[in-house]
Amino acid sequence: MNAFDLIQPDTLEEALSLLNTDDPLVRPLAGGTALMLMMKSKLYAPERLVSLQRLKPSLDKVKVDEAGRLHLGPLATLRELELSPVVAQFSPVIPKALRTLSNVRVRNVATLGGHLAHGDPHMDLPPILLALDAQVRVSSEAGHRDIPLSEFLTGYYSTALAPGELITEVVVPPLPQGTRGTYVKFTALSADDWPMAGVAAFVRLEDGQISDARVAVSAATERPVRLHEVESFLRGQRPTDEVLHHAGELAGTQIHPLADIRGSSGYKREIVKVCVRRSLQQIAQTDHNGDGGVTQ
Amino acid sequence: MAEYRTIRFRLNGRPVELAVQPHENLVEALRRGFQMYSVRESCGQGLCGCCTVYVNGKAVSGCLYLAALVDGCDVQTAEGLGTLQQLSPVQEAFIECEGFQCGFCTPGMIMMATQLLQENPNPTDEEIKHYMSGNLCRCAAYPEIIAAVHRAAEKLRASKETDAKADQAATVAG
Repeated sequence: MNAFDLIQPDTLEEALSLLNTDDPLVRPLAGGTALMLMMKSKLYAPERLVSLQRLKPSLDKVKVDEAGRLHLGPLATLRELELSPVVAQFSPVIPKALRTLSNVRVRNVATLGGHLAHGDPHMDLPPILLALDAQVRVSSEAGHRDIPLSEFLTGYYSTALAPGELITEVVVPPLPQGTRGTYVKFTALSADDWPMAGVAAFVRLEDGQISDARVAVSAATERPVRLHEVESFLRGQRPTDEVLHHAGELAGTQIHPLADIRGSSGYKREIVKVCVRRSLQQIAQTDHNGDGGVTQ
Repeated sequence: MAEYRTIRFRLNGRPVELAVQPHENLVEALRRGFQMYSVRESCGQGLCGCCTVYVNGKAVSGCLYLAALVDGCDVQTAEGLGTLQQLSPVQEAFIECEGFQCGFCTPGMIMMATQLLQENPNPTDEEIKHYMSGNLCRCAAYPEIIAAVHRAAEKLRASKETDAKADQAATVAG
């Protein structure tokens, strides 16, 4: 690993000031699990890293407000989110998905903010948070702005974060009563590999009819995306085998999978079809007011 | 740039200090500065668990952790679990069940197993496999390792009951 300078500010203001530069060799460091790998492989050789470690106490809170919105501090570790009763109460899909992400040691260190800012399409929470209509608050010395996650994730390892901006909060609007969700991921190489396809689905059934559907796909595509055509097709339908099969087929026409070591574009398209159908079947088969869990 | 800085932290309960460079990782620092040879870099990617260290009581991969960031923290390695005269119950269980062949992954396995049993004193096979999926044994001693974790769980539960009885006796006597 190349040598670099490491600064450990004590306050957010100080960190934002240190990061207020166009120099691409100055970057924030949160848990560092992904950044360390990039530096070890010499993919990235920073001159200066600004550690956010000392900001953790002020930026790791998890709570639900009076309006039912879930607020997640960006320096909460993935393990803290996995074990948080508040998160589990809001949506058990989040902790269940986290249990399948990497291993306990990585989750003990990796943070939510880093997970999102990295812009890696193989991450597990982005499709779930995308389906939940999450908003990302980013702050800089100039102030802050709120960006829907769908606009925050702009492409393969790229986000809407400008130089000098840090994620300071993630907010998820309340889920309508009776919404059930699931996350289905498919790993092609080994059980604990990054997913080759991930599908998050949340569906609300009223009198046996789908009144709301949200479906997001990740990993197979260059960034996590919502499948709006699939969602509008599902609304008003009854979740019969035929309807869910058609939703999977339709998903296949809505994505542009990237070929890589985990599969060809065509193979990934087929896997996404299956994952979309399975996620919806799981939800349809869950007869209580809960969630369909996470399957691999 | 990249100058040495002195970090101060507790290592296995003892206050220590070490001059480190910002890009030095925790495995390098613990081996270089304190001969903590139970901490081993194998995959270097956080996947294998050979470099498992506790920072403030939580298991981390030392190979992905900058040494400079443990300034002010409490760090524990397998050297701090027991002594040659008095092994920890998990260490004893690994020996009794022969939960290793070459032994390279063993300190990491014991560190993760110890943490698992703190969180879950009576894990099932599936829970052990899930919690320790990030610890690789290239000799594939997995069945023995799982048996060792069960044995360790029994030992810990038994010593807890003994402690509870001793406490009760002390209360009665007191």
